[in-house]
Amino acid sequence: MNSLIIVSIFYILLALALSYRVFKGPSAVDRVVAADSIDLLTVVALVLFSVFSKRAIYLDIALTIAILGFIGTLLISKYLEGKL
Amino acid sequence: MNNLAIFIALIMFLGAVWTVLTEDVFKAIVIFGIVSLMSSVMFLLMQAPDVAITEAAIGSGITTALFIFTYKKMEERKDER
Repeated sequence: MNSLIIVSIFYILLALALSYRVFKGPSAVDRVVAADSIDLLTVVALVLFSVFSKRAIYLDIALTIAILGFIGTLLISKYLEGKL
Repeated sequence: MNNLAIFIALIMFLGAVWTVLTEDVFKAIVIFGIVSLMSSVMFLLMQAPDVAITEAAIGSGITTALFIFTYKKMEERKDER
């Protein structure tokens, strides 16, 4: 197994550890921040998988998730602020 | 690659079960975004990049925004019922 896949599995394990905070978080802000961190860790894992499989189209998915996940987090934050 | 798919499927399973079992709608919206994101990664691992791009655009972006707007409307009309 390539070392890129091992690092990618490590990032997904970190996302699994963060999902505990999403499930059991005391407040809503904890859940939203942990969900945004899961977005970023998934982007890094997808970039590593794109380098592993040597196909450039896999990189576009990481780009799309990085842009649109930010928009979702921004909307939830505006809702929690009360200005939506 | 199979081990990566196993851990992603574990996150998807836990998130889907928690989305059904929770009682607060806001928690269900946040966790549904994670399930949709992980399903996008799963489409990529099954070597369907176009489906993964569409799932990432619709599931992670538009659906979360639409659900948040709907949740706001639902809270405004709660005292009418």
